Amino acid sequence: MSCELVERDLDAYLDRELDAAALTAVREHVGTCAACRRQLAQRETLARLVRSAPYYSAPDRLRARVRASSQSHSVRRVLTWAAAAVLVLSVGAGMTLWRPGASRGDVIADDVVNGHVRSLMANHLFDVQSTDQHTVKPWFLGKLDFSPPVVDLTSSGFALVGGRLDYVGGRPVAALVYQRRKHTINVFVSPAGGDPSTSNVVLTVRGFNLRHWIHNGMSFWAVSDVNSAELGEFATALQAS
Amino acid sequence: MRPRVFEETVLPHLDAAFNYARWLTRNEADAEDVVQDACVRAMRFFSSLRDDDARAWLFTIVRNAWYSRVAEGTRLNDGQDQRPDNALDPEERLLQQHTVGLVRAALEQLPVDFREAIVLREIEGLSYREIAEVAGVPIGTVMSRLARARERLQTILKLNALSETLR
Repeated sequence: MSCELVERDLDAYLDRELDAAALTAVREHVGTCAACRRQLAQRETLARLVRSAPYYSAPDRLRARVRASSQSHSVRRVLTWAAAAVLVLSVGAGMTLWRPGASRGDVIADDVVNGHVRSLMANHLFDVQSTDQHTVKPWFLGKLDFSPPVVDLTSSGFALVGGRLDYVGGRPVAALVYQRRKHTINVFVSPAGGDPSTSNVVLTVRGFNLRHWIHNGMSFWAVSDVNSAELGEFATALQAS
Repeated sequence: MRPRVFEETVLPHLDAAFNYARWLTRNEADAEDVVQDACVRAMRFFSSLRDDDARAWLFTIVRNAWYSRVAEGTRLNDGQDQRPDNALDPEERLLQQHTVGLVRAALEQLPVDFREAIVLREIEGLSYREIAEVAGVPIGTVMSRLARARERLQTILKLNALSETLR
């Protein structure tokens, strides 16, 4: 190994980021080359010096402030939830909650994201776990007053992995779960009711991408952390199926 | 979101977040503001924390909080050209005639991208991959920043002479 190559790898060597072969090569070279050994020694001295630099710990007042705002943040969230609940109750039956754009839509969107997050965090993705649409679809029979369309989209790169019951906008809905690489896509399906909206809605809520559309009298909300373009692809594939 | 979960996950890394912010801003008050901002963002996006590495995740948020403050043109300087005042003050410099002061002044003179790489690597012990994720750059960039940062530090600290005296 030449001195130039060793010089190139010296930092990675010190940082233990070299693979075993490169590591051995550097070590062997340094063992025989005084100039490189000096270089290495200087870098080691520098590393020791840098680690003697001051470590700035968070002041107590900052810690207290962060803790306080974490608590008030959660109180605000509870209030938001309470407000949403009041809104849902006051809107009452017979009115569609699914039209986005209005604040009702925001409540739904928030519900959709919460449903998605809950399914991932509580590890409750499935009531029925199957990649077979002919297993998933009948599972919903008798559990809902409608029959959600269930299709596997593996050929488009979105594998059906299961389904479960969930609640969105205060009503039970079918949640279908798809997988894109390591990412989970939840789709909440329910009857569109009188919702005349046919236009596609694209939203981002708390870092998650959302798509809403109406198809064959059904309302769909898709939510995931896959990027917006991919979720669009997914929506297109689902509507084409 | 349950505050307990946030507090248990994020608060343990508050020192690391503050240390990182303090090195970015080179100023106690700005660092506090940046970390406070970052924690509010972290609460909002807490549900997007996927993996276990809350610390690197928090670094990324601290970094974004700092950069958006810089972009807003607040009193924060971008740390690129300006030297910290104390590096130019002869009296202060006299007071810093000990190793820790020298090292601190040397680090503060580095361009912010270099300083960040050094702090995350040497002080926080992040891997190249983690630094790349926090800084939003390829691993190759991290490697060249670290190498160039160390070259500069060696020059600033006149390490040849210094390592002799330390021996």
